[in-house]
Amino acid sequence: MIPLRIKVEANADQPFVVRLRSFEFAVGEQSTEQMNPFEVALERVGPEGADYVGEGGPIRILGIDPSKVDGDVLLVNPRRGTADRLIRSASQHNTFLVTERCDQVCLMCSQPPKNHHVDLFPHFETAALLAPEGATIGISGGEPTLFKTQLFRFLERVLLARPDLSFHVLTNGQHFDLDDWEAMSRIDRGRVVWGIPLYSCDPAVHDEIVGKTGAHAQLLENLALMCRLGAQVELRTVLMRPNADWLPLLARFIISTLPFIRTWAVMQMENIGFGRMNWKTLFYDSSEGFDVVSRSIDLVRSRGIDAWLYNFPLCTVPEPYRHLAPATISDWKRAYREECDGCSLKARCGGFFEWHPANHGYSNLGAIQ
Amino acid sequence: MNVWPLKFREMSDGSVLFSDDAGEFFKSSHGFLDRYATDNLSPADETFLKEGNHGFDKEFDLRWTSFAYRWARRQSRPTRMNYVILVPTLRCNLACGYCQVSRAPETARGFDWSPETLAGVLSFLDSLEGPDIKIEFQGGEPLLRVDILEAVRDFCREKFSQCQFVVCTNLQRLDTREWAFLDADDTVISTSLDGDRVTHERQRTHGSEVTGAFFRNLEAAVSRYPKGKISALPTVDVDNPPDFEALLDNYERYGVRSVYLRPINHQGFARKIQQGDNVLARWNRLHCEFIDLLIARNRRTGRFMEEYYFSQCLKRVLRLNADNHVDIRNPNFFASDYVVIDHDGRFYPTDEARMLSRIGRIDLSIGDVGTGIDRAKVDVLNSGALNHFDPDCIHCAYQPFCGTDVIDDISRYGRIDVPRPDTWFCGRHLSLFDKVFELLYRNDEPTRASLAAWLGVAGCTGDLAPVHP
Repeated sequence: MIPLRIKVEANADQPFVVRLRSFEFAVGEQSTEQMNPFEVALERVGPEGADYVGEGGPIRILGIDPSKVDGDVLLVNPRRGTADRLIRSASQHNTFLVTERCDQVCLMCSQPPKNHHVDLFPHFETAALLAPEGATIGISGGEPTLFKTQLFRFLERVLLARPDLSFHVLTNGQHFDLDDWEAMSRIDRGRVVWGIPLYSCDPAVHDEIVGKTGAHAQLLENLALMCRLGAQVELRTVLMRPNADWLPLLARFIISTLPFIRTWAVMQMENIGFGRMNWKTLFYDSSEGFDVVSRSIDLVRSRGIDAWLYNFPLCTVPEPYRHLAPATISDWKRAYREECDGCSLKARCGGFFEWHPANHGYSNLGAIQ
Repeated sequence: MNVWPLKFREMSDGSVLFSDDAGEFFKSSHGFLDRYATDNLSPADETFLKEGNHGFDKEFDLRWTSFAYRWARRQSRPTRMNYVILVPTLRCNLACGYCQVSRAPETARGFDWSPETLAGVLSFLDSLEGPDIKIEFQGGEPLLRVDILEAVRDFCREKFSQCQFVVCTNLQRLDTREWAFLDADDTVISTSLDGDRVTHERQRTHGSEVTGAFFRNLEAAVSRYPKGKISALPTVDVDNPPDFEALLDNYERYGVRSVYLRPINHQGFARKIQQGDNVLARWNRLHCEFIDLLIARNRRTGRFMEEYYFSQCLKRVLRLNADNHVDIRNPNFFASDYVVIDHDGRFYPTDEARMLSRIGRIDLSIGDVGTGIDRAKVDVLNSGALNHFDPDCIHCAYQPFCGTDVIDDISRYGRIDVPRPDTWFCGRHLSLFDKVFELLYRNDEPTRASLAAWLGVAGCTGDLAPVHP
């Protein structure tokens, strides 16, 4: 598993953001004038760790090969002696966790909400500006739009400063309102995709899943606002037993009433957090009952709306639909099972969540020759 | 709930097809039509209309917004000029009976671009903005002037970061230089193949030696190039159509799965050919039979072929923004994203306009490479290039999917205000859309399998076409 947090030693009081450069500068050859003030360059590697120097201050990285963190942007917490790898330069899956607070309590939530909150937006802004060329950065939570004023300003500023970056924001879509029009209009809409979950076209089914009465109605109202703003919406539907039979109706609702979405993602469940607790009642074996999925995907795609399968192991998907199942499980969460040995599709398969249970629940699974 | 206005058309099975201005549709009955017309909708009617997003509660709510979005996306928006059709020569080494383009004999003089015209074309291309360009070389036989083609291509490769070149060639005579031109990865071939060998010879080559040369070159090209490099289309004489099975076999043999069946064109010299009465009805019948034959054949072989224009119409019904085909867009503004430059350097809004002008009926040229595009004249043409306000179209259930063709109207009737139902364009498209909806509401497996293939999806179910009992 790829570590997202590493051990560091740094001589500072307050948390700070720094980018590591492990290779560009030969040891002893100090050409710091070419470096960004938020950068440090590798000076020495020894048994006690890897030492970096630069305007960002001396910092020692422990327990990880410097070649693996070259170009990484860290949020260093000197008191704790740890650093979060906010941006791993070699990865396509970098996400800023804005908050752990949330106003919904989804049955399958992989990251159950916590009340504690620290505003990290200033650090996120510094980190984003240090991101590799052309990166797409994820924004997640909790519910990021609980801090929408900071979020909108952050997006606006970073996108203005870095015309090459884009963002993918996961939000429950509950908190947009007409008063946000101006702030949202200032965000370059072509470079932000809003990933918003809708679990059913039936209000009761959706509200039950997200644990909030009236959530469905609020969401539909806000989706209209997103449409009028020209925002790019990735509609996300986690497939579960309570909503699986509704999927074709949801597909029909999408083509009639949500034609403006950019993408529809039908997603498999993640076995962690509440998802693990409720696994037995929620997990839907799509390897067995794929017909609700295929019907729905075909309908939406026939109408010219993009639809994809996220987090589906390829062997659980019938062949004609495999090209619609990209490897979406983030690199640091991804694992392959014994059954995957010798599978000809492994290289393009997202595999399983690291924490997927041994008793996996799929009745059809195994290496494809 | 406020219900958006519905237009309707009786289907061949006696049921009624309804559509709204934003192109959502469903099938229902005369009973529903009566209830709708007399404002007596039942609760079940209301629920159905709500589910299909045919109504809204208040302005700016989700349903209202979705309808507005859908309507807006169905309008074709003028975009940047990035598609230029060039006619470097009018000369041709074939003399097809139906020639669409008013050709000149191969040895004639004064039908090629002069050096000044070439310079003017290049300077026009140089004035275009944006990273991409598509150039289609037409003729005459453009490869008779492969030197000009090379000059244009070299220029475009320098100027644009993405280029595509289409050579519309009869593949009749290819020497080393012509092959070398066609070999490039950014260059594709479009040719004519009128079906089986007998039909092709009768309509195009007129002698077995010439026919043989064509087929030898076609075969050489097919074996030399990757799939997708060569496209072909047949011109069909409605009085003497080819054997369609043989035509499809032949197309498949040469790796072409998409067939754009075209009736002998009414413009240019082709208009001189007498096709007898009822050409439209006979063409529509022939085309419908072809679609049914395709479905049966696809079922039989498991290798899916399509009729290109029918697939376009199918997508226009089901999708927003299906504006790829210049014959069917709405509005269909001229000289916005594409333009034709003739052998004398004159601009034309379409290839048909060029042919029509060539026979001296009317001058539809819109400037030349020396003076630029005549926007005032384009505006006059554009004033008729939309169907939104046509007194017949506004009542038609197919209006949101359909288009308009000013040039065809001028060509056939000498005017653009002929009642729509009396025009070839309307008659042809009514029949096409009737067929599209007939297929969408068929329940048989072979039809569904072909529809899925034409739409590029794995499967089709009845969900695709809503029915309100």
